[in-house]
Amino acid sequence: MERTIGFLKYRSIAIGISIAMFIFFTVFTFLNNGFNLGIDFVGGVKIIAKFEKDVDILKIRNVLIDNKTQALVQQIGKEEQNEFIIATKLSNKSKSAEENSIQLKKICLTNFKNVKILGVETVGPAIGEFLKKSAIKLFFITLILITVYLSFRFEFKYSIGAIAAIIHDIAITIVFCGVMNVEVSIPVIAALLTIFGYSVNDTIVIFDRIRENVQIKSKQTFIEVINKSISQSITRTLLTSLTTLFAVLALYLLGGDVINDFALVLLFGIFVGTYSSIYIASPTILFWEKFSSK
Amino acid sequence: MGRTHYYKLLFILGIILFAIILIIPTIGQKKIEILLNSDATPNELNVIRSRFPSNKFKMDEYENKFIITGLNLNQAVMNEVRIFPGVKDAKILPHWAENALLAKQINLGLDLQGGMHLVLRANFKKIEKKLKKNLSESEKNETTQQALELLRNRIDKFGVSEPLIRPRGNEAIEIQLPGVKDPKSVKKAIGTTGRVEYRLVNDDYSNKVSIWLKKNYNKKTLPIIPENQEKLFLKISREIKLPQTLELLFFFVREKDSNKIIPSHILALNKKVALAGNDISKAWVGKDEYSRFAVHFTTTPDGASKFANVTAEKNHGKKMAVVIDDKVRSSPTINVQITSGKAVIEGTFTLEEVTALSRIIKEGALPVDLEIIEERTVGPSLGQDSIEAGINAILIGLSGVMLFMLFYYKIGGLIANFGLIINMIFMLALLSWLGFTLTLPGIAGFILTVGMAVDANVIIYERIKEELRNGKSVRLSVVNGFDRAFWTIFDANITTLIAAFILSQFGTGPIKGFAVTLFIGILCSMFVALYISRFIYELITMNKKIKKLSI
Repeated sequence: MERTIGFLKYRSIAIGISIAMFIFFTVFTFLNNGFNLGIDFVGGVKIIAKFEKDVDILKIRNVLIDNKTQALVQQIGKEEQNEFIIATKLSNKSKSAEENSIQLKKICLTNFKNVKILGVETVGPAIGEFLKKSAIKLFFITLILITVYLSFRFEFKYSIGAIAAIIHDIAITIVFCGVMNVEVSIPVIAALLTIFGYSVNDTIVIFDRIRENVQIKSKQTFIEVINKSISQSITRTLLTSLTTLFAVLALYLLGGDVINDFALVLLFGIFVGTYSSIYIASPTILFWEKFSSK
Repeated sequence: MGRTHYYKLLFILGIILFAIILIIPTIGQKKIEILLNSDATPNELNVIRSRFPSNKFKMDEYENKFIITGLNLNQAVMNEVRIFPGVKDAKILPHWAENALLAKQINLGLDLQGGMHLVLRANFKKIEKKLKKNLSESEKNETTQQALELLRNRIDKFGVSEPLIRPRGNEAIEIQLPGVKDPKSVKKAIGTTGRVEYRLVNDDYSNKVSIWLKKNYNKKTLPIIPENQEKLFLKISREIKLPQTLELLFFFVREKDSNKIIPSHILALNKKVALAGNDISKAWVGKDEYSRFAVHFTTTPDGASKFANVTAEKNHGKKMAVVIDDKVRSSPTINVQITSGKAVIEGTFTLEEVTALSRIIKEGALPVDLEIIEERTVGPSLGQDSIEAGINAILIGLSGVMLFMLFYYKIGGLIANFGLIINMIFMLALLSWLGFTLTLPGIAGFILTVGMAVDANVIIYERIKEELRNGKSVRLSVVNGFDRAFWTIFDANITTLIAAFILSQFGTGPIKGFAVTLFIGILCSMFVALYISRFIYELITMNKKIKKLSI
C-alpha cells in the first residue's frame, strides 16, 4: 500500500494564503494605477515598425514627444531587427482612433528614413464594450454548462468544488495581470478562459478518485478518503502540470512578442490551477458535506 | 494476433496514412508561381532572386514568370512576394496531393499570412441628421445590410483573391482581406458611398455583343480583374462599332455559395443617365399582384417627371438598367408610363434577390457612409516571423515533453511519444481537412495541446503502476489500468472541451483559431491514448512471457 499524505491538514493555511495573496495583489494593482487595459478594450492605435539601424528607442521617443503625442514605444524581437511597437490609447475623445493612427504613421514616415510599417492596429472605443460583455457572458455560460455536466456525472457538491476552484484561479490570475502590469488584450482573455478549462480538468481527475474511493466501503472518514485520493493522483497532477509547463514555457520564451503576455498568464494559471485542485476544490466539497449534513 | 487485431491494425494504419497524405500539402515541398511585370528591371528581378537563396529553394526562370520550389512556402511568403516591385502576381500552385486527393493546404489566418482586418459601422448620426429622426434598432440593422450589399458590390476593388465580408452583430461589418497590396486604396474605396443611376439599355447593341462573345470568346467565365475587363470592352466596342453615345457594362449576378457577385453578361447602355440615384426617395420589398416578390419604390417630386419621361411610350419594351458603381445589377423592362412616381419592379425573383435590389436602390436614395472602427493590418514579413517563432516553440516544447516522458516512463514513454507525434499529425490533418484557419493563438493552442496530450498517458500509466503494485499480473494490470482510466480521462476532457467550445464562440479570428486547435487537440489526444496506445499495449501483453512492464 502506498502512503497517504494528510494534504487537507493544511487547508486553513492554504485558504488563508490564497486570500492573502488575492488581497495583496489587488491592493498592489490599484496602488499601481489599476489594470493595464489594452487597446482592444479602451481603443487606440498600435503600430509595429522597422527602423534603420542607427535609430534607437530614445530617438523615437523624443520625436514622439516633440510632436506632442502621448504614444509609448517598446522594442520587440531581437535588438538587431530594430523593430518597435508605437502605441497610443484613446485618452482624449477629440480624436478618433483612425486620426491617431494616421498621425502616428505620418510622424514616423516624415521623421525617419526608410521606415517599414509592418503592422497597424486601430481599435475604436466601441469594440471594447462589446468584448467585455461577450467575455463575461461566455464565462458564465461555461460555468453553468460545467456545473450541469458535473452534477450529472458526479454529484452537486463536486460541481461546487470545481467552481470554487475556477473562481479562485480566475480571480487570482486577473489580479496577477494587474501586478505584472500585463496588458489585458484579447489573447489574455483567451488565456484566462483556457485556465478555466485547465483548472477543471485537473480538479476532475482528483474528484474521480474521490468518487471511486467513496464507493469502496471502509471505515475511513470523508477527509481520509479525500487525502487518500489526492495522494493517489498526486503523481499524475504534478507530471501533467510539469509537461504543460514545459510546453508553455517554450511558448513564453520562443513564441514571439505577440503571445508573450498570453503565455505568461497561462504559466501562472497552470500553477494556480494545480494548487487549487488540491487545496481549494477538495476542501470545498468537504466543507459542503459538513455544511449540508448539519 | 487474432483476426480482430489485424482489422484494428489495418484501421489504425489506414487513418495514419490518410492523415499523412492530408498534411503533405501543408508541410511538404510546394511551388510558387511569380508572374512578373513586362517592364520589371534586372534590379527588381535580383531582389526576388535573393529572397529565395539557391541553397534552400529551386528557381526556374521563364520569360515572364519565376517558379520557386521548396519547403516552407506558404501564403505569407506568397503575400510578401506579391508586394515586391516588378511582381504582377504570385500564387501557390496546387500540390499534387491536392489534385489527387482531398488534401488541402492549411489556411493561415491574417495574423500569420499578412493582410487587413477591418470592422466598419455605418455613420448612423449622419443619416439621423438627414432624416431628422432617430433610427430604430431594425432601421440600423437595415442600414448595415445596405452597406453590406454595397461592399459586396465593391469586392473587386480590394484586389485580393479571397476577401471575406460578413456582418458582425446587428450594426457592424467585418472585412478580412488576406494579402492586400494597397491598404490605402481599400480604405478609400470603403469610405466612399455608392453611386447609383438608372440608364436605358440598347437592345440592338447588347445583342451584337452577345453574338460577338459567342463567336470570339471561348473562356468559361468573364474576366474579373478590372484591367482585363477594360481590355475586353475596348476590343468588343471596336469590332461591333459601338456608337459614342453607348457604353458597355457587365451585368452582375450573385453567386449562391460565396455571396460574391460575378459578371454574367454584357449590356450596351446609354451613357446618358435617365434617372439619378437620389431621384428615388424610398424603396421597399413587397409583393406584386400575383403575390410574387417585387421591389416597390417612390420617386421624389423632381424624379417623378424624369421618370414619366423615361417610361414614355417610345421606350416601352426597352430595359432600364439599375447601375451601382458601374455594375448593372438589374434590368427591368419598361411596360407602362408611370407619372405618379410610384413604381414596382416585378419578375420571378427570390426574396434574396429583391432584398438585394431594394438595398441598392436605397443606397441611391440615402447613401451610407461607413466608418472604420477597428483596423488590424499585418505585413506578410511580420506574419512570416510569427510562423517561424511558432514552429520553433512547438519543436522545443515537443522535445522537452518527449525527453521527459522517455526519462520517466522508459518504454512507456516511447509509446506515449509515438502517440504524441501521431496526435500532432492528426491535428494538422483535421485542421486542414475541415478547412479551419491557423492563427498565431492557434499555434499556441497547438503547443498547449503538446503539454496536455500526454496527460491521458500519464493517467493510464499511473493506474497501471498502481495495479502492478497491488500484485496483479502484467496483462490484468494493463487491462484494468486502461479501463479505470477511461472515465477519468473522459470526464476531465469533456469539461475542457466545453470550455474550448464556448471559447470558440468568443469574437472572431485569432481566439477562434486558438479554441478550435485546442478542441481538436483534445479530441485527437483522447483517440490516440484510448484507442491507439491501448492497442499497442494489447499487442505487447499478448506475449504471456512478459513479467515486467517498462513504465
